[in-house]
Amino acid sequence: MYNPLTEEIAAKIRAVSDHTFYGYEVNPDYSRDEMPIYGTHMPEMAVQPRSTEEVAAVMKICYENNIPVTPRGAGTGLVGGSVPLYGGVTMDLSKMNRILEYDLENFDVRIEPGVLLSDLVADCMTRGMLYPVDPGEKYACLGGNVSTNAGGMRAVKYGTTREYVKAMTVVLPTGEVTRFGAAVSKTSSGYSLKDLIIGSEGTLGIITELTLKIIPAPKEVISLIIPFTDLGTALATVPKFKTAGLDPQAVEFMEREIVLASEEYIGKEVFPANWNGIEIEAFLLVTFDGSTKEDVNRLTDEAAEIALDSGALDVLIADTSTRIRNAWSARSSFLEAIMDQYELIDECDVVVPVDKIADYMEFVNRTGDDLGFEVRSFGHAGDGNIHIYQCSNSLSKEEFLAKGEIFFDTIYREASRLGGLISGEHGIGHGKTAYLAESVGEINVELMKGIKKVFDPKLILNPGKVVRFDEESL
Amino acid sequence: MNICVCIKQVPDTTQIRIDPETHTLVRAGVPSIVNPYDNYALEAAVRLKEQHGGSVIVLTMGPAQAEQALRDCLAVGADEGYLLTSRRFSGSDTLSTSYILSAAIRRIEELRMETFDLILCGKQAVDGDTAQVGPEIAEHLALPHVTYALGMVEKGGSLRVRREIDGGVAIVETRLPALVTVSKLPVEPRYPDIRSWKKARNAEIHILSEEDLAELDLSLCGLKGSPTRVVSTYVPVREKKGLRLTGDTADETAEKLMELLVRSGRL
Amino acid sequence: MKRFNEYKNVWVFIEAEHGEAKNVGYELLNAARPIADGKGCDLVAVIIGHAIDSVCREALSFGADSVLAVEGDEFETYSTDAFSRVLINLIEKHRPDTVIFGATNNGRDLAPKVACHLKTGLTADCTGIGLQEDGENIAWTRPTFGGNLMATIICPDSRPQMGTVRPGVFRKGTPDSSRTGPIVMEDVHIPPEEIRTRIIYQADALALALDLEDAEIIVAGGRGMGSADNFKILKAFADEMGAYLGCSRAVVDAGWLPHTYQVGQSGKTVAPKVYFAVGISGAIQHLAGITGAETIIAINKDPNAPIFDIADYCIVGDLNEVIPALTRAYRKMKG
Repeated sequence: MYNPLTEEIAAKIRAVSDHTFYGYEVNPDYSRDEMPIYGTHMPEMAVQPRSTEEVAAVMKICYENNIPVTPRGAGTGLVGGSVPLYGGVTMDLSKMNRILEYDLENFDVRIEPGVLLSDLVADCMTRGMLYPVDPGEKYACLGGNVSTNAGGMRAVKYGTTREYVKAMTVVLPTGEVTRFGAAVSKTSSGYSLKDLIIGSEGTLGIITELTLKIIPAPKEVISLIIPFTDLGTALATVPKFKTAGLDPQAVEFMEREIVLASEEYIGKEVFPANWNGIEIEAFLLVTFDGSTKEDVNRLTDEAAEIALDSGALDVLIADTSTRIRNAWSARSSFLEAIMDQYELIDECDVVVPVDKIADYMEFVNRTGDDLGFEVRSFGHAGDGNIHIYQCSNSLSKEEFLAKGEIFFDTIYREASRLGGLISGEHGIGHGKTAYLAESVGEINVELMKGIKKVFDPKLILNPGKVVRFDEESL
Repeated sequence: MNICVCIKQVPDTTQIRIDPETHTLVRAGVPSIVNPYDNYALEAAVRLKEQHGGSVIVLTMGPAQAEQALRDCLAVGADEGYLLTSRRFSGSDTLSTSYILSAAIRRIEELRMETFDLILCGKQAVDGDTAQVGPEIAEHLALPHVTYALGMVEKGGSLRVRREIDGGVAIVETRLPALVTVSKLPVEPRYPDIRSWKKARNAEIHILSEEDLAELDLSLCGLKGSPTRVVSTYVPVREKKGLRLTGDTADETAEKLMELLVRSGRL
Repeated sequence: MKRFNEYKNVWVFIEAEHGEAKNVGYELLNAARPIADGKGCDLVAVIIGHAIDSVCREALSFGADSVLAVEGDEFETYSTDAFSRVLINLIEKHRPDTVIFGATNNGRDLAPKVACHLKTGLTADCTGIGLQEDGENIAWTRPTFGGNLMATIICPDSRPQMGTVRPGVFRKGTPDSSRTGPIVMEDVHIPPEEIRTRIIYQADALALALDLEDAEIIVAGGRGMGSADNFKILKAFADEMGAYLGCSRAVVDAGWLPHTYQVGQSGKTVAPKVYFAVGISGAIQHLAGITGAETIIAINKDPNAPIFDIADYCIVGDLNEVIPALTRAYRKMKG
């Protein structure tokens, strides 16, 4: 149902954009994200626009000519969301990467969507401000963060991306330009279209500008590394922090194997492997923030007491910027360490109620064992968002995919049974569409399809992602 | 073994940024840390203490806030902390700093009524990057020194040091007492555990000023005791010219590039 | 009216081992020439070692006006005690105005010991030296704060003024073997029992397989290399320069090189002085790993490759021609 991008249409696009690549000029990186296992596909043309107007003009031509358009940022997705399944145009927004303006009285910053998370965080820091959303991938674009409603480590205290998007400029699939939201903190003015765009994975519109909320950076931060003899005891400790009103900024859990793999990967021994001759099987990594040293010291004392009472072997303290950086750099390298170790990898990021994590993890590990591949997992113990990796060096790709289907089906079903969802922050992309209906139900999928059709009647924007339509297939 | 580790509180240089408009260093919000190489020196000292017994003393010269740096060290195995602080010491260059530190080391030996077998320093501080204070302390104290250590073991009253040399490593043996400056160790400095961390928070820090250092010649301290002067500073502007090189032949282009690299001191 | 009448001449310490000088000494002879000329004094090469005849003659050919040398068995390998005592002895006797060392590990071990003994100023790891307008003081320029700030330092009130200068910043002159000058051998000896350190073992660098993270020069290839086989050309170029080989993720994905070579966000973060990006398009993830590189040279046949946006020097061309040409040019330059 889509038209091929002919030389003639390419010429039309070139007439409105000076930043186009066509045919053999197109960088092969555009065919994939971080998870090529879901399949790769090249776009016929790539555009690197520099302005909203340029995006709109290209979009309009594509709308008129029935050419699919796939928006893309840094390409760090994990579910194939930026793979141009049906060719057409890839709209690479990474060159729209200016931080436009701070409004420190209203605590917001206006940016283009291609700004990298790491750059925004660093720039905010020089003004004593914090953009608190902290997904593991620091080299992702903010536009992508918003499109997947990225969560990350600090969600347990500060919430997810959604809570930090005040307003946005969006180019619709027709090429029209509109603005959603406003730089105010309350709204009760009809359907929240802004919230529909957040997490829509580039299927409803292309974000070309964002107004994001920022907060004064906490003056003091401290991290606790807490070793345990088993994961169950570690996870059972987590709710106690919250019950005691300690409000940690982040609570991550990690198992022995992945810590060792990550340390080998970064070439640094960060966490102890043993404690007084006892093998450490699991860690919690907990961060508190506060406005004075006394505040964070008090929180640390209380948290340490809770942890030791709950069976922790010890509590190690990272209270300087170097120590905190080292501890978290090991945590941030888990994904790369897994990729380095295994040839075949698939993953998911289910979210389950916090008090069910321990049981759920046991179920997941057992399921992996039964199927005959390895499972590596880590995640946000504070909010129940778990990253689970199916890994193998011995299976053939076909076997791996077949077993993966059973695996994910089984563990998604168990997550649903426990009251959870299939993705906390990575999205659905095209790798997980098959599981969406089962998770949210037919009624909800139909609502989503209806919304998609209102925004994108010709189904040309990032087709094949989140919800699938029969007519999309060629 | 009695070991004195000289440390410095420095800004975390990895977090220093340049203001793109004013071309000046933005130091606001940059945390203070123990110089990373000093942390390695301390880790080496604590490991030697764990093997051979003895004590580890940490010494720093700086403003009152530098006390926190000493507490950070007490939390990971140092036994006592000494802060050398006085207005008269500010503005000291490496010669003057090393003079004052060496006087303090002598004084601490008197106070503790035992001499140090080993003095350890980080190979350099990451703010000044001079790598001079260590060897200069050794000279003031008439001790042998070994720089750029990657590890060390005590052997029959002397110390064997794995030393980084240009393009390789050497094992150097030195008599004790000696001064050693420490580069990176193969192990990361340990994290404090909750007990020693809490203890360090309330530990006593010994304060020393010129009044405690009776023999100190004040004309050799601070700005007036410093032979070097900083006359100007500037932020280097990194020009990303993106210079496109062309030539009639690939060889011509290649020679142009090599010429440019050598002229700008890069090769 | 000169304030330091009794101090004259500019000395350059030539570090030599096994009868061979390190390049930096000759680089500094070239760099110090304008200073000696500006002061109207001699440029003296100071050499301590064992079997140094040829080094002495070589120093003259590289621009020294004269050579001051000390030879002895105890100087065959470097020791702080022996070398510092000789230098202190020479400086006290001849009173140079300026002493310049290469900022090698040994240079930075030796210079502070000597400067401290003489109670004079020393500036570390300079990247620039020049004579101030007064014709007296040297302006020593050096990076601080991890390279974020440059400082210019003088030593106005004591002599000799001393500094260590980073290797590779200046270029050697063209040697002229017809140059002659006095070679003065000083008879200084240090009794072995007064040398308090000794080298038990010394290992060559290359056996040590430095990490990519610490490499000074990296030659990295990307998807544009086209095949695993083409990496042979790149490896030859890297070997010629003593550089380390790196690559982008695409290369690892294609199985051309193992992951340990990968530079970038999911690979190593590097900070070399010079980074050659050959056939690397410049994806954000790759660029994230090379933000610490001082100089980036991009070689790519695609004139629109994003790597050119951030490179200092760009060559558009076929790597099969450019890389062998660069190898030849490097060889030619090094003589």
